[in-house]
Amino acid sequence: MVRRLGKDVDNQRNLILAMALVILLLFGWDAATQYFYPAPKGEVIEQAQAGDEDVRRTREGGLTNPVAIAEERRDLRTQLADTSRVPIDSAKVSGSINPVGARIDDLTLKTHRETIDRNSGPVRLFSPAGTPAQHFAQFGFVGTGIAMPGPETVWETEGGSLSSDSPVTLTWNNGSGQIFQLRFTIDDEYMITVTQSVANTASGPVAVQPYGFINRTSETASTDTWTVHSGPIGAFDGSVAFDNDYEDIVDSRLIEPAGRTDWVGFTDIYWLSALVPDPQVATDAAFRALGGSNVRADLIYDPVTIVPGKQFSRTTRLFAGAKESEVLDAYEDAGIANFGLAIDWGWFRWFEKPIFWLLKELFDLAGNFGVAIIALTFVVRLIMFPVAQRQFKSMAAMKALQPKMKALQERHKDDRTVMQQEVMALYKREKVNPLAGCLPMFLQIPVFFALYKVLMLAIEMRHQPFALWIRDLSAPDPAMILNLFGLLDFTPPGFLSIGILALLLGLSMWLQFRLNPAQMDPQQQKIFMIMPWILMFVMAPFAAGLLLYWITSNFLTIAQQKLLYLRHPQLQATQADEAKASNTATPAKSADG
Amino acid sequence: MKHVLIAIARLWQLGPSVILPPSCRFAPSCSEYAIQALRKHGAIKGGWLATKRLLRCHPWGGHGHDPVP
Repeated sequence: MVRRLGKDVDNQRNLILAMALVILLLFGWDAATQYFYPAPKGEVIEQAQAGDEDVRRTREGGLTNPVAIAEERRDLRTQLADTSRVPIDSAKVSGSINPVGARIDDLTLKTHRETIDRNSGPVRLFSPAGTPAQHFAQFGFVGTGIAMPGPETVWETEGGSLSSDSPVTLTWNNGSGQIFQLRFTIDDEYMITVTQSVANTASGPVAVQPYGFINRTSETASTDTWTVHSGPIGAFDGSVAFDNDYEDIVDSRLIEPAGRTDWVGFTDIYWLSALVPDPQVATDAAFRALGGSNVRADLIYDPVTIVPGKQFSRTTRLFAGAKESEVLDAYEDAGIANFGLAIDWGWFRWFEKPIFWLLKELFDLAGNFGVAIIALTFVVRLIMFPVAQRQFKSMAAMKALQPKMKALQERHKDDRTVMQQEVMALYKREKVNPLAGCLPMFLQIPVFFALYKVLMLAIEMRHQPFALWIRDLSAPDPAMILNLFGLLDFTPPGFLSIGILALLLGLSMWLQFRLNPAQMDPQQQKIFMIMPWILMFVMAPFAAGLLLYWITSNFLTIAQQKLLYLRHPQLQATQADEAKASNTATPAKSADG
Repeated sequence: MKHVLIAIARLWQLGPSVILPPSCRFAPSCSEYAIQALRKHGAIKGGWLATKRLLRCHPWGGHGHDPVP
């Protein structure tokens, strides 16, 4: 009796310790996720100081400051009203080219909306110089000794509007014998091809360097996180460089990546603007700070001397659009090195890509990404089913061993280590083992991680609805319980933002754990039953699709356990016995994996 | 390297393993096995032994008493 009392005190101390750890986890996790993972859409994650202004970054990027948004709207109205602009209108983009400075500075994506609202406008990628969301591409020439086109040069336009079947040419005559020309064509996706040429009609040779650059503000950048890169990007000598950040450019003023440039530009989680140089020549690239939050990705060709009466040209491509995996891969197949890796899949892509592929196939069948995720869960559980089946079979065999087991536990009750060894020896002799081992558990982690990355990265998942209130599977559950699903006018802070999905997750996991056939000591049992509620908080801010996967998985596991208990009716009784027994004795417990 | 790997195994034992249901089919457990193997055989051979052990830890693998060689 005294001994039991001592043990209870011991247990209580352990429980308090566990609770302390849980609380630490709860609050520590919030801080850690803020640091490592992107914030939910529309939420503030980072308050970087840029001068006196606060830059709030979101997962999708774009302006967040209401003053800047209003200013942007005003600026666009006045700037884009200029009738000398050359319209761009292709299958997926629309916008215009500014003949002043020959800039592509107005581009929206027809097939991607700003928000889940059906009436929201298209996503704007490019915005003219000087606007709060400044982001544009410019093509031109540098040279000495002759008059060169500059940012204020007004080019003559030829051709109505730029579309996949109608090119546009911009011409500028410097009045001293050189004619500069920019010929634009566009494909059905997001690629604009620019042919820069110079004709020398003067009597002496001239030396020129064609260039192209992308200029943008980092204030519209999406959140750069530990798992997904947003910022300067490029492929040099065939390998993609993800390691430069906007801050790095600002700090060092100039970054010149080593190696031959395959493509260079800036990326957000979903969008990319990149220059692809003429494949015929080796080209250098540079990232440059322009003061404030403005940065530039430069592509400059080596100088070429054009003798009188000759013409010279270079062809550069500009990708400006959404990072649709198939589109990028098609460009990669057509010769742009590693263009598909502009999507930051990471080292785990060999596993993420098949999951992504399977999800897309299931989506084509089901027509709804939520249903596709549920179907994916079925596939995964089906693959894991033999493991559970085998576990139940050996548990049934264990039942026959129960008397021997009891005897063993009785004999070695004072020495747990010896008892464990004896139990193991018994298992070996009788060729049974009730435990599934740790590998099956580990095998499921990659699937989960892959789905997490796919939901976060893939634009194909963006704004994909499931049913009822879940209108975007890539965003957290919007139905917050604490503000009565939006009835109260506040957004619950960090770890308290629990949605219905999170609650379902906790509940389904709790149910599943209750049916778990693995034997545990009561202490562990207690901690184990708290787990679902901790995970409810931990998982709440993640993408709704990820929670959907986990909830479905839990319910399928419950169904599977029910089915297997039906097949092995003797186990149901055993479990009930053990629940009772666990109050008085410690059941056989093998050590952890 | 060796100590880093041992630290990982220790972290596993003190973290997730406490909360998860007992699942290892072997004695000593995979994490304990990994620590012993790393101490005895160093990072490369010990790590390899631990990896092999983890790959055996499933319903069709072995079970029971399985000490570090």
